[in-house]
Amino acid sequence: MRRLIPNHVDLLRWALLGVAALVLVVFLLAQRQSVDVSYGQSPAPSTRIEEGAAGELSDATVPSTDEMTALVTADPVVRLPGAIAHWDEQRVREAIGDHDTRILVAPPGLDEAARKRVREVGNATVRVIGTEVSGGAYQAGADTLPGWRAQFATGDVTDQLVTLIARLRKVPAPPDRDDLRWREPSGPELAAVVADLRSDGLHVGAGATLSRVPEAAHTAFPDGAWYVVLPGQPYGEPLPRYGPALTRLAPDRPIVVMYGGWIEYHGPAATDFADLAGASFYTRFADRLSRYDYPQQNVLGAYLHQVTDIRYAGLFDRPLPYRPFDPLRVALPALPWIFAACVAAFLALSVRSLRRSLGGPGDPRRGGSPARLAGLTTLAVEVSLLTDARSNPALTRGIGKLQAARAALDEGLPEPHVRTLLDEAAAELDDTALVVGIASYRPDQYLQGRLS
Amino acid sequence: MSPPLLVWLAGGALLLGAGFLTTVLPRRRSRERERRVAWSAARAAIDSASVSRDATAERVPEAERLLTRAELIAAERGGPAAARAAADYARRADQLWQAHG
Repeated sequence: MRRLIPNHVDLLRWALLGVAALVLVVFLLAQRQSVDVSYGQSPAPSTRIEEGAAGELSDATVPSTDEMTALVTADPVVRLPGAIAHWDEQRVREAIGDHDTRILVAPPGLDEAARKRVREVGNATVRVIGTEVSGGAYQAGADTLPGWRAQFATGDVTDQLVTLIARLRKVPAPPDRDDLRWREPSGPELAAVVADLRSDGLHVGAGATLSRVPEAAHTAFPDGAWYVVLPGQPYGEPLPRYGPALTRLAPDRPIVVMYGGWIEYHGPAATDFADLAGASFYTRFADRLSRYDYPQQNVLGAYLHQVTDIRYAGLFDRPLPYRPFDPLRVALPALPWIFAACVAAFLALSVRSLRRSLGGPGDPRRGGSPARLAGLTTLAVEVSLLTDARSNPALTRGIGKLQAARAALDEGLPEPHVRTLLDEAAAELDDTALVVGIASYRPDQYLQGRLS
Repeated sequence: MSPPLLVWLAGGALLLGAGFLTTVLPRRRSRERERRVAWSAARAAIDSASVSRDATAERVPEAERLLTRAELIAAERGGPAAARAAADYARRADQLWQAHG
């Protein structure tokens, strides 16, 4: 048993070291987790959208720069084929006054080369690409929800034009005006929409560029929502106001209504949510939406991702999706203390083993060497009474060896060494006994005689 | 620095220190012990050889040279290798004297 216990202790000591190393490795590996974190682990993709990958380029083309320059020289307002921007002639004419201001209107979704050709038309004071209004060194864009609504629902760029022209003339710009008009949808219109919504939650108006609800809808509105997608509305005509009408029919259902590139939210928490979602979405994407010609499918997808982000930001006290139990996340705070405990135990056991291996002169029961030393010493004393000159050196050498063995024993030198010295001393004494001629003084016999 | 980070750093340092000590201390001790054993054996051999020299009537120059060399090595002290060399010389001198004795 005495040998077994230290073995077990040693085993435990190395096991503790292994556990400590394992814990350390787990801790270091877990550090990677903190690199990629978003609020509430929103599943909306964070990769950037590649140019041209989302179908934003249309088939529209523009003539060469020279041809466009000639067109602009001939006519103060040139609308290229496919142009969608409209404005209030009266207000823009007032802003221009009697200045020579020429406006070139190009279609949306032009590629970089075509946009460059349009920008190079030198005699066009104001360029409108899609609904992006620029002129001189300036670019005018909407920055309010009504402004974005007019721009993306009906292609109305009146405010942008008026602001830009005033800036170019270095006069104060008149305040923005919201000229958009609404109408209640007619009975048959509403009935058709509601029938579609009740069957599969999606109504797609004629001409809308959307085929199905985007994937992101599952995370944006997990409990389901109604989607009404209408094409861009003609400028100057009132828009059918579907949102409130549908909310009256289904008060607890989130409703997303889309007019061209403009998206509205109606339904629960609309007062808080609609403005936040719209403002954050159009602040981020208005530039691209005005310049390009995205399919409504992609616009709605991006909006739903934005809604997902807002939902996961926890602003609206909606319950987060269930997060599964992760033992690592739970154990992580405890790891340093487990590690510390392992280190402490390992240290204690190390001190113990160190003390054992360095401890004292060793095992007190040293295999009979002291007894043999005493016996041989007695023998040497007895023999020394009988010696003559011939046997003297062997006896003297034996006594010298005995003294060396005693010194080694006192110093705590290892047992084999002491035994070697005693063996040499015994050999010398054996020689002495042979010379003296008394067999009982041979060390083997003498020691046996003493023992018996 | 947060306390857990300190725990990791201090714990790691302690583990390294403990490993170092448990390796180095026993090794140093065993080396010291080996040296003392070798010198103990060498001194015993030199003593034996001196006794043999005193007991031998005739002079054996070869043995005297060996013993002198052993005593020189012993006088300079040194590591276990030196001690073993000294013991070897002394033992050979002892044998020479005993053969002549």
